[in-house]
Amino acid sequence: MMLQADSLHVARSGKEVLSGISFSVDAYEVYALLGGNGAGKSTTLLSFLGFLSPTAGSVLVKHTDVYSDIAAARKAIAYLPESASLYEHLTAQENIAYFLQLAGMSASSPAIDAALDRVALSPNARRRKVGGYSKGMRQKTAIALAMLRDTDILLLDEPTSGLDPNAIDEFHQTIRSVADSGKAVLMVTHDVYGACHAADKIGMLQGGKLKGEFAAEGHGIDIEAVRKAFSATVVPS
Amino acid sequence: MSIPGALRREVRFSSRDPVLWLWLALVLGLSAMSVAFGLAEVERQNETIQKLIDGDRHDRLAQYDKQESWGSAAYYSFHLTYDPPSDFAYAAMGQRDAQPWMHRIRMLALEGQIHERDVANPSIALIGRFDFAFLAAFVIPLVLILLLYDLRARERIAGRHDWLEATVGQPTSFWLLRASLRAGAVFVTLVVPVIIGGMVAGASPAKWFVATLGVFAYVALWTMACFFVSSWRRPGSVIMLALIAIWVAIAVIVPAGARLAIDRLVPIPTGADILLLQRETVNDAWDLPREVTMAAFFERHPEWSEYQPVEGSFEWQWYYAFQQVGDQRTEQLSTAYRDGRLRRDHMAAWVSILALPSLLERFLQSLADTDLRAFFEYEEGVRGYHAALRDFYYPKFFRNEAFDRTLLEDLPSFKPGNPGMG
Repeated sequence: MMLQADSLHVARSGKEVLSGISFSVDAYEVYALLGGNGAGKSTTLLSFLGFLSPTAGSVLVKHTDVYSDIAAARKAIAYLPESASLYEHLTAQENIAYFLQLAGMSASSPAIDAALDRVALSPNARRRKVGGYSKGMRQKTAIALAMLRDTDILLLDEPTSGLDPNAIDEFHQTIRSVADSGKAVLMVTHDVYGACHAADKIGMLQGGKLKGEFAAEGHGIDIEAVRKAFSATVVPS
Repeated sequence: MSIPGALRREVRFSSRDPVLWLWLALVLGLSAMSVAFGLAEVERQNETIQKLIDGDRHDRLAQYDKQESWGSAAYYSFHLTYDPPSDFAYAAMGQRDAQPWMHRIRMLALEGQIHERDVANPSIALIGRFDFAFLAAFVIPLVLILLLYDLRARERIAGRHDWLEATVGQPTSFWLLRASLRAGAVFVTLVVPVIIGGMVAGASPAKWFVATLGVFAYVALWTMACFFVSSWRRPGSVIMLALIAIWVAIAVIVPAGARLAIDRLVPIPTGADILLLQRETVNDAWDLPREVTMAAFFERHPEWSEYQPVEGSFEWQWYYAFQQVGDQRTEQLSTAYRDGRLRRDHMAAWVSILALPSLLERFLQSLADTDLRAFFEYEEGVRGYHAALRDFYYPKFFRNEAFDRTLLEDLPSFKPGNPGMG
């Protein structure tokens, strides 16, 4: 088990945001957490990263409680935030090189170029400063970075936000291939169809509670069932 | 990642930040300007002193040629005393802006001559001296605050904070390294001009090395303060306000409040009180019976007690005796003035532990010999020199020695940095 939330309760500013959710993500698996705004999706990711201590329950990364060794948990995870806020005074390549160095890694320029090729960021763009990038280009850069981290676990917060449809398809294929190489991927998203396309399992979050899980069977996840469940979660209660 | 590796990474990263370069250029410009002003002022003071030294002996000899008695020779001749700026004064002018660093004294009552001066240069009093000590003590903390207050807050606003911390694994050392690097760059650009200034001024390397260490410790303290306050999960504007409030408290409120309290706790006479009392004493002496004046004089100089003043005639012995009595009468006030100011200074030194900018400024002034202690040492040197002049002239007066210009070659000369006799 790469990631495990066990009866996880988390409060922010005195208000309970997660109310006893339990799920797990294995190696070779893409797990998508679906839910509306305020469902607790990002809070779940931040808990795995050691930013929000549970008020009850536990979060485990590679069988170890995150809060017993936060640095070790973070080392095992490549995290892609919802808003890929890269340094605007650096180019895509420089941003990636810097973040890799922060993680104690280094990558050659060809390796960075190869990762940027995979996310289809044009060679001209990658040598320009990020300040002039569109949101999609920034997201592609951050995805390339997450892949280069080569960690056992990827946490992705709304990873396809800002990407064009072609790039979204490419991204899902990339994520699939990353998981197939033995990594565990946990992503939170609003994108029902994308989640169904890329994920092995989908967890439906509503009001900090896991309302249901959908697993791929035969030809994949039943998109219609997920869509209905998702619609139910975003209807104001 | 190893510390050198992390350092290289952050140096490369920060070197691409144009905002940091702007701040460093500003600090370098201000530091160079403060050192240049300091060197120019030291040069001006040295030139003034040299000009006066060149003219001093010439003027005195010209006066002697016109005189026919020891009394008039002593009366009309001036003697230069001066306190040359130290080799580090360019960095901290200190008391040299507020206290006199030269006196042309005569054989008359001394205390009035010491206290009869401009209390301050009005233009300096208006704007203050922009020297290196002021820059390092008062301006640099503001630069550090503006450079470091949003170290984390700007990353939070950009949405990068958690990403960075999740990536780096050891966030405290990461933020500390980032803050230290920026503060270190400020420190280097701050001290490079003062070191170059030291080479130009011929300052002892030990002195600017110690000064540099003091500035380093000071910058490190402010960096730590900025680092801890900036770690609050608050908006950058709140963090900046908190840091500015700390600066205002320890740079302005604590010193100003302490000054008021110390002035109240340790009352001292003013220089004008001393001057007035001495002038009254000297002026009154013209109307007093001469034996009253001489009795007071003989208390200090019993060796001349055989002298009998003649009422109604002018005698230099009596004239210089009442000048000295003028000094004797103001001795208590003068001592109270000096002791009081030193006591106030001593108390201010303790308070400056809480008022860090004042502490650094005092430290640099102490290294530059421009503090109150140095000023009073010079003043004591003037008193010692004046006493030596009296020791030279009194035997001539009281033994009624015949005036001999050649003996004036034996007059003591003022030597700065010691009690004043040569």
